[in-house]
Order: sequence, then C-alpha cells, then structure tokens
Amino acid sequence: MSLGFLPQLPPAFGQPALFGALLLAGLLGGELVRRLLGLPRITGYVLAGVLLGPQVSGLLAPGALGEARVLIDLSLGLIVFELGHRLDAQWLRRNRWLFVAAIAESAFCFGAVLAALLAFGFQPLLAATAAAIGTATSPAVGLLVAHELRASGQVTERMLLFTAVNCVLAYVALTLLLPFLHLEHAMSWREAVLHPLYILGGSALVGFVASLAMLWLAGWVGKREDHQFILLVALVVLAVGAARSLNLSVVVTLIILGMLARNFDYEHVLLPLRFGYGGQLFFVILFVLTGASVEFTALPGVAAAVAAFIVARFLGKGLAIVAFGRLSGVRPGSAGLLTLALLPMSGLAVVMVLDTQAMYPAFGGELAAVVLSAVAVLEILGPIATQFALKRAGEADPAAGSA
Amino acid sequence: MDEMQFTPSSGPTLGVELELQLVKSHDYDLARDAGELLARLEKVKLPGAVKPEITESMIELNSAVHTRYAALAAELDAMRDAVVREAGMLNLQVCGGGAHPFHSWTERRVFPTERFKHVLERYGYLAKQFTVFGQHIHVGCASGDDAVYLVHMMTRYVPHFIALSAASPFYQGEDTSFQSSRLTAVNAFPLAGHMPFVKDWAEFLEYFDKMRAFGVVESMKDFYWDIRPKPEFGTIEIRVCDTPLTVERAARLAAYAQALARWLLDERPRPAQRAVYLVNAFNRFEAARFGLRGQLIDPFAETKRPLAEDILDALAGVMPQASALEGAEALAALAADVRRGYSDADWLRERFAANKSLAHTVRESAARWAGDKPRASG
Repeated sequence: MSLGFLPQLPPAFGQPALFGALLLAGLLGGELVRRLLGLPRITGYVLAGVLLGPQVSGLLAPGALGEARVLIDLSLGLIVFELGHRLDAQWLRRNRWLFVAAIAESAFCFGAVLAALLAFGFQPLLAATAAAIGTATSPAVGLLVAHELRASGQVTERMLLFTAVNCVLAYVALTLLLPFLHLEHAMSWREAVLHPLYILGGSALVGFVASLAMLWLAGWVGKREDHQFILLVALVVLAVGAARSLNLSVVVTLIILGMLARNFDYEHVLLPLRFGYGGQLFFVILFVLTGASVEFTALPGVAAAVAAFIVARFLGKGLAIVAFGRLSGVRPGSAGLLTLALLPMSGLAVVMVLDTQAMYPAFGGELAAVVLSAVAVLEILGPIATQFALKRAGEADPAAGSA
Repeated sequence: MDEMQFTPSSGPTLGVELELQLVKSHDYDLARDAGELLARLEKVKLPGAVKPEITESMIELNSAVHTRYAALAAELDAMRDAVVREAGMLNLQVCGGGAHPFHSWTERRVFPTERFKHVLERYGYLAKQFTVFGQHIHVGCASGDDAVYLVHMMTRYVPHFIALSAASPFYQGEDTSFQSSRLTAVNAFPLAGHMPFVKDWAEFLEYFDKMRAFGVVESMKDFYWDIRPKPEFGTIEIRVCDTPLTVERAARLAAYAQALARWLLDERPRPAQRAVYLVNAFNRFEAARFGLRGQLIDPFAETKRPLAEDILDALAGVMPQASALEGAEALAALAADVRRGYSDADWLRERFAANKSLAHTVRESAARWAGDKPRASG
C-alpha cells in the first residue's frame, strides 16, 4: 500500500511557514525580554533572530536568509516610506536652523567615524564607505519605539526628522563614493560616473512617479482610512518591486515616495498615516531577520575598532546637536537625549553592507566585520537607548507601557 | 479676606483669556508640547501673557486690560502671530474651537503643576474630559455691588454668547449635534452653574464665607459658574464662550460684552430679578444645542422668540454704547454674521462635509486661526 499523498520527510516548509515562524519567534522573544528583563520588545525580536540564525541554532540557514531578502526589503520599504512621510519640508523651511542641525548631524557623524577608522589604519576609500553607512540611524527602531511608547514631543519629532535626513544623506554619500570604488577596480570612467547617477536619478524617478500615482489614486478613492491603507501598501510594495528589478535603491526610492506624497499633497487628499497592526507585522519580521543576519563572531577580533566606531559615531552626532540644537529650538537638557535616541543602527546598515559587498568584494573582510559588529552591538543597545531617551524626555505616554 | 476685596475698575474695561489647542502637524491630533512652547514664548516680547492650562495640549492667551476694542483686537492679533510663529518652529499648529474634534481623552495628560495635579486627583476623569477650550471675557466694574447687579443682568444674555461663540460641534470623533458640546463638559462639575441670587456684594461675601466655612470651596477659582465676579481684578468674568476660530471674533465678542455692560450699568434698565434663573437652564441648552437656530425665553417679557432675533435686537439696542466705546464696527460684524446665519460650528461642519476627515478639518481650522484666507464663507 503506497501512501503517495504523504509528504516526503522531512517536509520542506516554504515561505508561508517561514513567515509564520519568524512572527511567532519575534512575538515570544519580544514578550519574554520585556517581562523578564524589562527591556524593549525590539531587543527581544533581535535576540530571537540571533537564536534562530546561522550563528547559534542554524534554524534559519543562510539560504533561507537569502529568500527572506524580499521580506526585509518590503518591511524596510514600508518603514522608510513612513519615515519619509514624516519629513515635513515646511518645518525645515520655517526653522532653518533645524535644517542646518540635521545636515550637521550627518556631516559631523560621518567625519568623526571616518577619522576614527583612518586612525585604525583602514584604507581611506573603504573607511569613507563604512562611515557613510554609519551615518544612518535605524529608521525602524526610531519609528517602532515611538509607536510603542505612543511618544509625542520635540525629541521624538526631531529624532524622526534627523533619522530621515541622515538616511538620505548616508545613501547619497554611499552612492557618490561608487565612482571611486569603480575606478579602484579599473572600470571605465563612463561606468563610474553613470552608475551613481543611475541609482540616484532612477530611484528618485520611481519614487516621484509612485507618489503621483498615490496622490491621484488617493484623490479618486476618497478619504476612507481602510481604502487608503490598501492603496499605500500596494504602491509601496510596487515601488519596492520596481526598485529591486531595476537595480535601484529600495531605501532612496521609498523615502522619496514618502516625502513627495506628503509634501506634494497640495489638495490634501491623504489621511494621516496609520499603519497600525498591519505595520507591526513588518516591524517584527524585519527585526527578527536582521537579528538572524548579524555577525557576532568577528567581534572579538575587531573589538577596539568597533568601540571606536560606536563612540565616534555618538560623539559626532552629539557635537552637531549640541552646537546647532539651541538655535533650532532644542532645550539644553534635551540635546543629550536626542543624541542617545539617534544611536540605533540596524537592518538598513546590514542591507547597505550587503549591497556594497555584492558590488565590491573588496569591501569585505575586516572593515565589513567592524561595521556589522557595530550593528550587532547597536541592535541590542540601540532600542534600549532610544526607549530610555524618549521616556526620560517625558514624551512617552505613561499609559502605553514599555516598548 | 484680601482676596475678596473688590478692586474697583475705572469703567467697563476689557480683558480676554483664550484657551487654545496645540496640534501636531502630521496627524492633527492634540500635541503635548505646551511646556516647550511656553519656554520659547518666555523669550519673546509679548503684549499680554501666555500661560499653561490644565493639560499639556493647551495654552492660554491673556490680554492686557483695555478700554477700547481696537486696541484689544490689535493686541490679540500680535499675540496670535507670535504664538503661531513659535509653534511653527516646533512643528506645532495652534487652533481655536471649543473642543478638539477627535482626541481621545484617555490620552490626555495633565500639566504637572500642583494645582492641576490637585484638580486631577479631585475630579478624576472629569478633569481629563475637561480638555475643552473656552474664551473668558472680563468686564470691569466700579464696585462689588455693580458686579453683583451685572452678573444677574448679564445672565439673560448668556445664550447670546454661547450661540455667537459656539465652535465645538465635534467631540471625541463624533458629531454631537450640539453647536457647543464644550458646555456639556463644563456642566459635569459640581460647582458649575450660576451665582446664587444675592442682592449685593455684602450678601455675596456672606454666601462665600459660608461656602468656605463648609469647606465646599477654598477660593473663587473653585466656582465654575457661567459668570462670576472676580474681585481682585474688579471685573465680572463671562465664561460660557467657546474659543472662536479666529481672534477677530474673540475680540468682537468682548466688544459686545463691554457695550452690554456699559448699557446695563449706566441705564440700569430694571432691577435684578430672580426670574432669569428660572429660564436660564432652558435658554442655555437651546443655545448650546441649536446655536443661532435656538429659541430664547425672555424672562422679563415672558415670551419665547428665536434667539437670532433676540441677539439682533440686543446688538442694535446697545449700538449707542458701542459707538461711544468705539466698538460699533465689531457689533456690526457680529450682526452681519447672525443675519446670514454664520457660526463657527457650522463652518466646521461644512468643512468636514467637504473634506470628510476630522484631521483635515482641524488642519483647515488651524490655517484659519493662523490668519489664512478661509475657503468657505466666514
């Protein structure tokens, strides 16, 4: 008697099972960490990922991680879109010093990290690449902590604004470094110049077109929260797909989509953005997956450089905020908290490292290990820092509990 | 007893307090940055004063004491501009209106000062539900006796002020069907209502001392009456108005109160009568529920008539006093609005009907407060 309807053992679980398992692991990890250690749930999502990942249990094989890249891109796309949507050009126009402070925050941070890495004897070009990656604050951590604490106030708003600006600038810097990396690899001048132009211009164009479509369709759909939610997710996913298949940058495309959808909405067709529970799913997936892809093994070997990287990054951001914060209306006591809130690095940095490595294997080895180890450390410490900062600033809703 | 010493005012002087909503620019829900904004405003030279109010979503503009409407209007204008500008630096917007259309009261936090903490402890959820925004108008009186007379006589006109200022049709995400839903939130307090029918200041002091001896109140602040005497300022304070959607309207309402007070105190048209308090609750409800479309029972003529008609007659009646006080233009503007049936509450409903989103209704209301040209009539 043959039982051909039975699956082969062990059964092959596909994407749906992976998706479910990641969510469940994240939920359990987040809740355990919160209950037992009183730490933010995000830290638990990441730890769950670390436990599932190739470095510990290996339940998530590197192959599965590759498949999950789609999920990372989608989650990051939605998050970065929301971040772009919070970037209010009118605020920057009204408060010029804020714009200066945001630019300085990125520039000082880049400079400080670059200097630290050069001091460790890394090659200037590669050090600059790593510094560009280090400039970006994790948009996912900032948004999720703010959501979960229902935080509202100046530190929260500025953290999100500075994050949006430093993510954009980090990507622009990274892209502008491309020609030099190209030349280093003896590729043609033409390729060296055209590639960054293609990435930035193409991403901007896709984001622009998608924002026009979003605004037009939102006007047609009308002010129904449920319908607009579907519309936003649909266009975000479409834009992520388009950016991926055109070899563009998902992050730049989506942040531009968010910014333009907000700032071109002259007719006021869009409702205030609320991703709610649906958005939470993607946050959990993103953090578990980045947890699974973090690199701890190299940490002992490069510990000193990692420490220098993190400290320089913090000091760079802090110096800019202290220098320009007052002029832009940050209260003296809040400058330190704002700097602390901007500490997290996460999925975005991992994606940046992977992308750079894919194009330039030379950006591997020790330097990638430094950046990825810094990410690993800040994955754990970052959410704690952000939560502490927002609570300390008195901007968390006491009724919301702990993130 | 110092607090209850009536400081005489020279004639019907004017002063205004406006409670304003602070909203976030990205979702138009109430913000919690009153503290930050106040800290910024401390460094700005302002004609009046800006103060914290009970929740961190609210600030209060206090005008100086004025004798003329034009000066009050100009001052409110300047304060409005300064507040809007400083709020803009913090990515906040400011708006008028008696209530925030969709905030959830459970999320409100009370400003961490001693008095407000005490209010929260004492009144529980009422204190948070009391996230409503009103305009208080002070009119000067020469003596405590004048103040008592004026409170009794002004009570007949309370529905006028309710209907003319009504700007809170939406509350916690719903159309309440009221023109002023704010007033209902005020009613819940045990010491809401009106001053008892005392004949003069001496009798009022007797009443006050008794209430204090009972331990019902500690100071005049504990009475949430529609109109109350304010002895240390030498004024009566009309507290029934929603904060209008524009400073212009706020100043006009004050001009109307001033002209009425001048007429009542100069002409003494009739002795104070207990009858006003018999019909007060009915009139007050009609005005809050239906606004200008409500009815009013005239306790003196013992007739029921449309509120709008009564307002137009009263505005015309005190026009000589308004002219003498250089406020005729303000009363004429109010009368024109009544004639075409305009109210801020209707404007808010109209904007909601047009844009189908309370968040966008708040956005338009904030733009209007800031002085942008309104889209609709008004």
